[in-house]
Amino acid sequence: MQVTEKTLLFNSVAFFIFLPVVVLLYYFLPQKYRWVVLLAASYFFYGSWKIEFLSLIMFSTLVDFYAAQALHRQKVTWRRNVFLGISLSANLGLLFAFKYLVLFLPSVDPMIANIYTVDHPFLGFLLQGVYFSIPVGISFYTFQTLSYTLDVYHNRIEPEKHLGHFALFVSFFPQLVAGPIERFSRLMPQLKAKHVVSYKRFQQAFRLMLYGFFIKMCIADNLSPLVDAVYDNPSTFTQWSTWFGTFAFGLQIYTDFAGYSLIAQGAALCLGISLMDNFKTPYFSTSIGEFWNRWHISLSTWFRDYVYVPLGGNRVSLLRWVVNILAVFIISGFWHGANYTFLIWGAIHGMLYLVERLINANKRLPQTRFVLLAGGVAIFICVNIAWLFFRIDSLQQVPRHVNALFQTEGVQNLTLSLPIITMLVTFLIAEILTYNSRFDRLLDRYPTVLRWIVYAGLIWCIAAWAGVTNHPFIYFQF
Amino acid sequence: MSQEIKHIISKGLIRLISIAVIVLGFNQIYTSYFLNTDLDNHGPMLLELSHIVDTCDVIYFGESSNFTTHPDDYNTLRISDNIAAKHPNKSFGTINHGAYHVGMFLPLVKQLAMSKPSRTIIVTMNLRTFNQDVIFGPSEANLRLASRFYEPSLPILNKIFASLNHYDNRSGHERDLLKWKAWTYDTLVSHEDSVDFKYNTIRRWCEVPKFLDSAGIQDDAKRQLADQYIKAYAFQIDDSNPMIQEFDELLQVAQQKNIRVVFNLIPENIQDARYYIGENLVWLMQSNRDFLVERYANLGATVVDNLELLPSKHFLDRAVIPQEHYDAKGRELVGLKVADML
Repeated sequence: MQVTEKTLLFNSVAFFIFLPVVVLLYYFLPQKYRWVVLLAASYFFYGSWKIEFLSLIMFSTLVDFYAAQALHRQKVTWRRNVFLGISLSANLGLLFAFKYLVLFLPSVDPMIANIYTVDHPFLGFLLQGVYFSIPVGISFYTFQTLSYTLDVYHNRIEPEKHLGHFALFVSFFPQLVAGPIERFSRLMPQLKAKHVVSYKRFQQAFRLMLYGFFIKMCIADNLSPLVDAVYDNPSTFTQWSTWFGTFAFGLQIYTDFAGYSLIAQGAALCLGISLMDNFKTPYFSTSIGEFWNRWHISLSTWFRDYVYVPLGGNRVSLLRWVVNILAVFIISGFWHGANYTFLIWGAIHGMLYLVERLINANKRLPQTRFVLLAGGVAIFICVNIAWLFFRIDSLQQVPRHVNALFQTEGVQNLTLSLPIITMLVTFLIAEILTYNSRFDRLLDRYPTVLRWIVYAGLIWCIAAWAGVTNHPFIYFQF
Repeated sequence: MSQEIKHIISKGLIRLISIAVIVLGFNQIYTSYFLNTDLDNHGPMLLELSHIVDTCDVIYFGESSNFTTHPDDYNTLRISDNIAAKHPNKSFGTINHGAYHVGMFLPLVKQLAMSKPSRTIIVTMNLRTFNQDVIFGPSEANLRLASRFYEPSLPILNKIFASLNHYDNRSGHERDLLKWKAWTYDTLVSHEDSVDFKYNTIRRWCEVPKFLDSAGIQDDAKRQLADQYIKAYAFQIDDSNPMIQEFDELLQVAQQKNIRVVFNLIPENIQDARYYIGENLVWLMQSNRDFLVERYANLGATVVDNLELLPSKHFLDRAVIPQEHYDAKGRELVGLKVADML
């Protein structure tokens, strides 16, 4: 993934100029031109990563737009299937080519690839895309357009007639590169609606973005060097440090991704558009089922609706149901990348889910506080250990890491500075307070003075204590 | 204008101003209690500079050429120490850090206060840092992060910009690609009859077999070192070179502060460049030197031309890589020549 200071990351100076300009243009232009502003802004946003990537998103847009219209017009099933097939092959083909093809190809020396790219720019671009810089967000927008075609196919929605509006649905910049993966029926009416300027909405947006920046820049970016150090060389650290570094990745990936989602929600809200909540304090879950209702919600509901239910859901034999569950979790693991480690991560979650359901099927445990707490702790530990497979680069690293967790001669200690400890405690308190709420709504309940103390505290953390690691959002690579 | 928009503008303005005031207040707290820790971690030379800035008449800005020594050296004096020894009546300070170049020195020079009159700075000018291998080098992102902390703006703004990765933070892979583009497409041109670039790009030049014996077998070690020389010196400096732009700015900033600038164009191993590659490469090195000396002399700087000062034996890494690390005698000779020009 290529990131430069000109790339429009949320956590970049360029974005702090880009967003206000887009918002101003959006509200000052008449309603009928607003989609043009948003589409141009979205393509500019995406093109800032790599201009060539735009060709892929345009290709996906055109194929799905015309395929959906064509299949909607057809009454004969096999013809409808043909157009559905075209859409699925185009999207999954793109995904396969740029994300999974590398599994079946010999490895390439990055330097050799660079030399080839210089000599053959077009083929070199493909080579770079396949091997080194997966087109950012490709898994997100292909899934979003796939859901559109499948919904049209199942007659759940009418196909969009305006190519520009549809292109905007595919590329809407706040959620383009890492979700939330929105459904057409939810997002498109909002994109077409006339939104008037609202102070209340800007206020909400500010709060979401402020908290999003806090958890990304202050928690995730400060944990990142600690996690990297432990995962790179686990045997050099003391046992305590190895455990801490391993569990810290769970916190890093959560704050990184949830931070992105909150900023995306805030940015969209500035334009009057409400994106779905993607995370709801997942580490307070008391069961693995609940965890998946609270973690990356837009993806888990996508898999539920477009994979699990079509496979028969739970209205099948026990054996088939077990297979369905495992299939969904393994595919969702594989969605994250072309590495067997992701498959294992998905399989672990699938197994945990099955075990939990089987225990509950035999005898539902009483929902006492103790049981819930014990369940919560157990889920937290299991989920965080499973992250190990998500974080490592290859299976060969597992024995080394596990060995370091249980018997190590390492002497290096991870040290947490007072600012990091302060921010972790702040984050924990915020998580507890937002268990049944969202940060922006929570602040509505507070008096003005307290609200400003919270604002000032978060601004202080972002300004003075944020991490300076050069890490883009983790989920951009998926 | 609708009531809501007026409401947003009035309330929004008040809030923006409040936030700006808060950030200014935070700057004071940050500077007093947290800045030094960040500088320790990311930009240590600013702390060094703050220790010497008020007391030194001459400040030497250097990189590893200044302090690298060898166990067999008869002393461990740095180039800057050798200069200082020749001017006992002047107080000297040294700012040096491995791999630093003008991109890091520039913001540090911006930080120099104007309060001390008739100050001199000696800035290391390393010919090799003008090449693509350094400009697109893998450590450049980290160096640019340091230079972000050296910028003379509010410290808390520097921290915010660093957190937002607002510096040249291109990845190693991308820099490598740009380097290969330059090596492929930047052509070498000569208007002199005596110099003809048969192989007019770095890539073409490197692809040529070298050091073949009578049986046509190549001496791989020599070949590799020869190619290192091509990559290090086969380029032509012009106005568009980013290092030139930074040297220009550094000189301009210093002159505005009434600071005398001495550029120490440090020695390169011309002898080995001639042995491994030949006169064409030496011609490139010399013409680049002429460009630098003429340009900066015309702009009012003192340029100490040490390019050809040292024979090969003074270069510590000569068997491995073209690098400006000198033995004790080399450092002394460079120091003496700079001292003479002060």
